[in-house]
Amino acid sequence: MAKARALDRRRKSVRNIRKITRTMELIATARFKKAMDRSVAARDYTKQLAKILENIAAAGAGIVHPLLEVRPTKRSAVLVLTGNRGLCGGYNSNVVRQAVAILGQWRGEQVGCDTTVSGKRGISALKFRGIDIRRSFTNFEDKPEFDAVAPIGREYLSAYAAGEIDRLDVVYTRFHNIAKQEAVTEMLLPLKPPEAEGQGAKPATTLASQEYDFYPSAGSILEEILPASFLSRLFKCFLDAAVSEQVARMVAMKAATENASGLIKDLSRRYNRARQSQITGEIMEILGGVEALKQ
Amino acid sequence: MADTTTASTPRAGMIRFIVVTPETTLVDTHAKSVTLPLFDGSRGIARGHSPFIGRLGAGEVRLSGEADRPGEGVRRLFVQGGFVEVGHDVVTVVTQRAIPQEKFDAAHARAELEKLLSSRATGDEAIGAKLEAVEAARAALRTAAK
Repeated sequence: MAKARALDRRRKSVRNIRKITRTMELIATARFKKAMDRSVAARDYTKQLAKILENIAAAGAGIVHPLLEVRPTKRSAVLVLTGNRGLCGGYNSNVVRQAVAILGQWRGEQVGCDTTVSGKRGISALKFRGIDIRRSFTNFEDKPEFDAVAPIGREYLSAYAAGEIDRLDVVYTRFHNIAKQEAVTEMLLPLKPPEAEGQGAKPATTLASQEYDFYPSAGSILEEILPASFLSRLFKCFLDAAVSEQVARMVAMKAATENASGLIKDLSRRYNRARQSQITGEIMEILGGVEALKQ
Repeated sequence: MADTTTASTPRAGMIRFIVVTPETTLVDTHAKSVTLPLFDGSRGIARGHSPFIGRLGAGEVRLSGEADRPGEGVRRLFVQGGFVEVGHDVVTVVTQRAIPQEKFDAAHARAELEKLLSSRATGDEAIGAKLEAVEAARAALRTAAK
């Protein structure tokens, strides 16, 4: 009897775990939808900025700006975006692995590195590897706000302008689609010139754009728009990381729920067998007793 | 672009007006005219305005004769910095901060202005930034007071 009862107890606890993972999956799904909506809504801004930049480029103003200038890297900054919580598959560990790779690369090249980490998971993982973290954030959850991201970006901009850093890399999980997210290292500073952004200007828009007047001048607008474009890219990294985290958790919890179901099936089978063999044993005992009484 | 069928159909005598912030598309509507706070003063825009790209200062955007809210008068928004692209009867404001007047917290704005005024700035850059911030805070309060 002992074995059957132990199996039953295990089955009950697996059922409870399945309930929890199922709920977490549903929560992650709801959060993912919200995060996705925010990410979609944020696309317009980037698109409009790119359009204005394209128009400035087409107007023939030479695009020269300190933010675009590639300098030899003497001191670099790395921003690592991870989650505050685990139970989301390989989401955090993939980002940490990427971060360790780039930090190792800078160390190999004798370049000083200014490391900033967002998310409790990343902070503890990098601390464990003995990496010196200059600054850390734990306030970014599934809804990063522009007003919270912008000050961080502005600090990087002023450090870059002052020559304190020569390069900024962001390590985060890029969201391609619901089936594909990958941990990447993206260079945000120096900014890539607008032409290199893909989506080559179509001849029609170039023609139309030459009619634009600029107030006060194309150069002055460029000066303002490049920092804005940097901030929006940085914000997009945060949004992507948030969306990817929810997707990763959704997938991990779905797998966990399925595994729990499989385990319950297996345990039920073993429990039934144990119960049956116990009943059979008892019948045999009774039969044995009856036979003994007959004699 | 948040192309909804109602917002993108051209309407006679009207311009399409869009405000995008890093987080969302705040406004997408049609209006008779719109007044924008450019870096050096206000500029009114109606249908047929010549295309331009301009830098915005801090101040209020006034929308009048909106198609979706007939007879409701002028709608005001506070924007702080950013750009405007005017072209082919579409006015797009790209800004990091835009707050509709009805959601504006005047007490908070006043507190911020006071905090700014009492802070001390040293060096040309810091002083310039402070003056700009004070100007923006005053513009915000003006919008709120209307």
